[in-house]
Amino acid sequence: MENFASLLHGFGVALTTYHVMLMMIGVFLGILVGVLPGLGAPNGVSLLLPLTFTMDPVAAIILLTSMYWGALFGGSTTSILFNIPGEPSSVATTFDGYPMARQGQATQALTLAFLSAGFGALVGVILITVLSSWVAKFALRFSSPEYFAVYFLAFASFIGLGAASPLKTIVSMGLGFAFAAVGMDTVSGGLRLTYGFNELLSGISFLIAVIGLFGIGELMLTIEEGLRFDGIQARVKIRDVFKTIATLPRYWVTLLRSAAVGCWMGITPGGPTAASFMSYGLAKRLSRRKEGFGQGEPEGVVAPETADHAAGSSAILPMLALGVPGSATAAVMMGGLMIWGLNPGPMLFVERPDFVWGLIASMYLGNIVAVLMVLATIPLFASILRIPFAIIGPVIVVVCFIGAYTVAGRPFDLWLALAFGVVGYLFKKLDYPIAPLVLAMVLGDKAEDAFRQSMIMSRGSLSIFWSNGLVATLMLIGLALALGPLLSTMLGRVGKPKGSSVVA
Amino acid sequence: MISRYTAEIGTATLTAGLGLAAVIGALEFGIGWGDAGPESGAFPFYIGLLVVAASIGTLTQATVGRHGLQSVFLHKEEAKRVASFFLPMLAFVVVARLLGLYVATALYLALVMWVQGKYRLVISVTSGIAAAVIFYFVLEVAFQVPLLKGPLEAALGLY
Repeated sequence: MENFASLLHGFGVALTTYHVMLMMIGVFLGILVGVLPGLGAPNGVSLLLPLTFTMDPVAAIILLTSMYWGALFGGSTTSILFNIPGEPSSVATTFDGYPMARQGQATQALTLAFLSAGFGALVGVILITVLSSWVAKFALRFSSPEYFAVYFLAFASFIGLGAASPLKTIVSMGLGFAFAAVGMDTVSGGLRLTYGFNELLSGISFLIAVIGLFGIGELMLTIEEGLRFDGIQARVKIRDVFKTIATLPRYWVTLLRSAAVGCWMGITPGGPTAASFMSYGLAKRLSRRKEGFGQGEPEGVVAPETADHAAGSSAILPMLALGVPGSATAAVMMGGLMIWGLNPGPMLFVERPDFVWGLIASMYLGNIVAVLMVLATIPLFASILRIPFAIIGPVIVVVCFIGAYTVAGRPFDLWLALAFGVVGYLFKKLDYPIAPLVLAMVLGDKAEDAFRQSMIMSRGSLSIFWSNGLVATLMLIGLALALGPLLSTMLGRVGKPKGSSVVA
Repeated sequence: MISRYTAEIGTATLTAGLGLAAVIGALEFGIGWGDAGPESGAFPFYIGLLVVAASIGTLTQATVGRHGLQSVFLHKEEAKRVASFFLPMLAFVVVARLLGLYVATALYLALVMWVQGKYRLVISVTSGIAAAVIFYFVLEVAFQVPLLKGPLEAALGLY
């Protein structure tokens, strides 16, 4: 009940005209970046972040999270109408959403997608409301070794649960840590890894990396594939919307299962993309109408959308309560919190309850605003995609570079963004995962601090990571996850070859 | 035409190089035990080693499985498309460093629209300048975020 009172207080913080207006702006910009190729949630939040440095943290986080919701919804719109996923996490929505739209059921597909997405997000937010202060209280007992173990666990789960090759995950993650180490060493205050370049003295900002990797890299990939927008005319008829709403309860099993999958993948750093694929796979396997999947089965829209948004919103939970973001976008937002002078983690609940609960309350409101706005603006955004790429492409490029410059006002960052763009293009083409790199850049200093402080506490003995039940359990789970792929290939060689059960 | 195998090898060599750079850079700052716990090079040193090791692993995997990687990584047609996008972007960054972001924006948008979009020159140039002016008002006036400026802004007295 304590949480409920805090939540009501949070609604008091969030429900001002100014904040609701910010929510609408955020959602609008979010749908825009979600719809445009090359711009997505992590990138959109990175571009907007420098403009919020002067804002009040509560207002700023409301703007950014609303943008996140908007981007998730925008990604589904293009998946259904254009067969182009605006976001990696809405790839699974194209499987059945686009066929539905081609059969003249665009309104039904969009309504189902948005409503089930809204449902998923709501479940995620309720989970945050119920669990966050409990997790934060638990985490107050953590000291440096436990923190390092949590970070270790987060990165290990990328290796163990990710779809990409474990070696490539390690490369991507390690590079993230290395980039984070450039510049000032937060423990000793000395400089390192600058190789004599003045430009590297202040380090490499993770925002530049995100803008390059996700924005410019993604654009290059879009261009290479040759852009074709075979859009489907969509005019949302109010009557169809209500008819579709009436059919939604039929999918309650899928909704609940997908929300559960999404929440789990969001809290562990599996992320929304993995969640939506997994949920789609489960729905297909368990459905009575298996053969309809891929040809416009409504359940095939409900399942990935619910999981995508449940994961997207529940990724905020570990970010707030532990300081370990569950997705690339959450990582960017967490970086933002640190720039605003807030320290994500359990102390945030003690020091800034107004911020935490205002944010949580705004997540309820923001998602409702997002569902309504996205339904109302489909025609507008569908027409944006009909603008020729010779105009929209360069505009996105300019926005990315201007965004990169506004991070710190350093001309050198323009080159960095371009370099990260090339790396992002190569990595995406060769199936290197990018999220671990971003997460490592955001968490690099914190993980290193935790490690070094643990070493100081133990006078250099690694045994501190086995010194009590809590830290030992965390480390063991982490090790099991990290070594999981290795063990399973070894077991696979010894035992009989199993049918592949790869979870995307 | 580039094969997937070549691309895998190239990228893994690049990541190994970056890892090695971290290792070498870290050695300069000490990787042992100092007065205040581990020295500041220790963490980057081991991270760098990890990257090198994983890159070598990827190289080995690619070499062992090279028969499976003969698929085409980049067609000539695709390469042309990427180049037609990348080169103007590169030029944009170079011009932005010399003349500032606003001038670069106007030039870049106008040229891409004119040359690649086949719009009329007047329309392209007007759009480019309009975009730069809009960016100016949104960023400098509304959000008070200064962008990189060049000689033109100085001549116009805009700071």
